[in-house]
Amino acid sequence: MAPSGLRKANDPPLLILVSLADGPKHGHALAKDIEDFAGVKLGPGALYGAITRLVERGLIEPLGSDDRRRPYQITPPGSAALAGALADMRRVTRAGLARLGLDPA
Amino acid sequence: MKPTRLLRWYPRTWRERYGEELLALIQDTLDEGRPTWRLRLGVIWGGLGERVHQAVRAGKAAAKGASSGWLTAVIAGSTLANLPWNLKAPLPPARAWQKTAAFDALVGAFAVTGVVVLASGLVAAPAFIAFLREGGWPKIRRRVAWAAGATVAAGAGLAGLFLGQRSMSSAELSHSGTYGAGVVATTVAIVAASGLWASAATATAKHLKLATRARAAQPLLGAVTLTAALAIVPANLIWLAATESSLPWLVVGVANLVVLGFVSPRMIGRAVRLGRRLRAASGRMTVNPSAQRTHGRHRF
Repeated sequence: MAPSGLRKANDPPLLILVSLADGPKHGHALAKDIEDFAGVKLGPGALYGAITRLVERGLIEPLGSDDRRRPYQITPPGSAALAGALADMRRVTRAGLARLGLDPA
Repeated sequence: MKPTRLLRWYPRTWRERYGEELLALIQDTLDEGRPTWRLRLGVIWGGLGERVHQAVRAGKAAAKGASSGWLTAVIAGSTLANLPWNLKAPLPPARAWQKTAAFDALVGAFAVTGVVVLASGLVAAPAFIAFLREGGWPKIRRRVAWAAGATVAAGAGLAGLFLGQRSMSSAELSHSGTYGAGVVATTVAIVAASGLWASAATATAKHLKLATRARAAQPLLGAVTLTAALAIVPANLIWLAATESSLPWLVVGVANLVVLGFVSPRMIGRAVRLGRRLRAASGRMTVNPSAQRTHGRHRF
């Protein structure tokens, strides 16, 4: 596995980074947001497994909170990893659409 | 099963760090009326996965520590064991160039390693000073004290070896059990000091708020340090080959050099690309997608 853990579009780490790209969120807000934009329901176990890996790799970091619901934010390395993964996906998507004749560009 | 009991499936350290957050999320999810059996199964699966992950990570850390220690021991041991003989041995003029070249390479490798380690410290200095001003010293004091102690022991060992090799001939050194034990003890002290300083630096780095440029420079500085340190081994071997008139040592030394010549540019190139990506990420909106392409690999 690549160290960033970003392999395919429905990977929990990638979905979490995309969700955090527009601002910090706590666990429940992340799960709701991911369900809204990707249609993927992440359970608490899967969500916190992915959060743990992303924190270990320094791609996201926790923010201080008095509440039990601790928010997380994306870090500069996290933004770089996300940008790299999305650029690769865009390249593959463009090639696939062009070969299917579905991409006007 | 109560949500709090579900946490028992996770390792203790994980529970201490994330337990409360996970419980809050489980409660929020239960309030939405999700099927509880699926949620519980998912949490149990996550806990078991976390236990496996921690066991694998501990194994990898042990292997990494052992390989770093071994590498340091090879570098320090080969240098300490060969240096007196290499310096004292008379050489025919035909091989003098080989000795001179290897000696220059050795001194150069040590110099580059020292300069780059110093540069890494200077780059991180502003963040380190800020960390100390915020009262961070107690967090790293014990690690630094252990590392400093090991460094003093290594320095004393080196001083003893230096005095020994000045007062004894090559033949006396060869037969001196005390000198041999000193080489081993000093090598162990150098390995311990390196490991303890690396541990102290890693622990300190977790607390530093590095500027983007400093953060982006670290991968390159690390790669250059490792390259310079690794170059010490072939330099020692080629020097030994010149002193001993040994073709096998020359072959091993040159082979080491060739491997280093192949691995080092790739390592430095990867560090440069990582530094660029870190700088680009600091201004997220100015990321150049072509600079991000890593052909499916996002190395962080």
